[in-house]
Amino acid sequence: MRNLWLLLQRNAFTLTFIALMAVSVSVLLRNNGAARSSWFQKTGAVSSMIDEQRHEWSNYLHLSEENVQLAAENAALRSQLLSMNMADTWREDTLLGWSVRSGMLIKGPDGKPHTLSLATPGRAEGITPGMGVLAGGAAFGTVEDVGEGHSRILTLLHSGTAWSCRIGKGGPVASLGWDGRDVNVLQLNDVPRHVQATPGDSVFTSGYDLRFPPNVLLGTVIDSERKPGADFMKVSVASAVDFNATQHLEFIIHRADSERVVLAQPELQP
Amino acid sequence: MTALRMLLMVLLQAFILRDVTPFGEWTRPEWALWALLLVPPQASPFLKLLSGFAMGTGLDVALGTYGQHMVAATALGGALPALHRLFSPREGYEITDRPTLQDMGSSWLIGFTLIAAVLYHLVLMVVSNWYWQLLPSAILPSLTSAAFTTMCCVVLHMMVYTPDRRNPTH
Repeated sequence: MRNLWLLLQRNAFTLTFIALMAVSVSVLLRNNGAARSSWFQKTGAVSSMIDEQRHEWSNYLHLSEENVQLAAENAALRSQLLSMNMADTWREDTLLGWSVRSGMLIKGPDGKPHTLSLATPGRAEGITPGMGVLAGGAAFGTVEDVGEGHSRILTLLHSGTAWSCRIGKGGPVASLGWDGRDVNVLQLNDVPRHVQATPGDSVFTSGYDLRFPPNVLLGTVIDSERKPGADFMKVSVASAVDFNATQHLEFIIHRADSERVVLAQPELQP
Repeated sequence: MTALRMLLMVLLQAFILRDVTPFGEWTRPEWALWALLLVPPQASPFLKLLSGFAMGTGLDVALGTYGQHMVAATALGGALPALHRLFSPREGYEITDRPTLQDMGSSWLIGFTLIAAVLYHLVLMVVSNWYWQLLPSAILPSLTSAAFTTMCCVVLHMMVYTPDRRNPTH
């Protein structure tokens, strides 16, 4: 403190000079427009340069924090992506000849292996046997028989049915069925051993059975079972449809359905 | 006495002599400098500095040029101690020496006044123009005005400090 005082005493004249000059310049700047403008033009450029440098340094010093924040955000997004239901739902596509007609489920599957479901409408609304039925954009079943105002639906939860499908949109075709045990688990049979079936992979219709267009969601892979020496493996699939909560249905109609059916029949030998 | 002289010169410059500019901006004298330069060399540096500040403030108030003369006169007040050292005789100033024609001689007085006037006018030019592009054209008028101010100061010296008044016995 004493040294500071001595320093001030030693430079008292210079400090007084600086103080008086500061007062004079401030009076000048306050009262002279040109001087004020020129002064602020120069000091503004300097201060903006300093601010810019400070901002750059500040950004540089905060890079590590930003990095941590970005890594956390990245991890959150990746988790969200992995847990996200990636399955898309099939929508009406009249350009390809497919259209849908809405209906209501009257009686749903009860978990027994051979139970059939009932829905409206029926023949009066153009529903015919063999049509695919969707629930929430995912495969629900197929029309097995029709009355005037009602339809009988063969759902995925019927142990006597098989559905042509594939794992992913480009996998080999396999057959999906239900073993009649667990209503939450369907079985994909005859899947070639080399096919990669990872839990979470989507299973789509192949379109080969003419009931559904291709790439309609059926479910997602739960597990796969490879037996030693076997060429095929068994894949467990969770249905995309909640059979206990389904109310609204969509009947899939193809414009040239009768023609397709006729052409798909085995050719009669003369 | 110094303060009274300074006040008188400030008032004279502001109200009577402000328009005495025979060649316009080329000869714009600062009469009040004469009073400031009469501060004795032996005086305290603070007195010189404060004298300059006071003179500048007085000129600005009287002329309505707020700040310009304050800056110039404060700069000159701050430089006066150095100028006095620069122009000091080899044996130093006598205690009775005053910065007048009689005590210090014509060459000392003219040189000292000219340097001080040049400094004052240059600073005044800078704070009057401010923009760099205006300064080159203002330098020459400032130098000629400084020369004219020096001449005016010498004339004032000759008028006020006559040999008879300084030393009646001679």
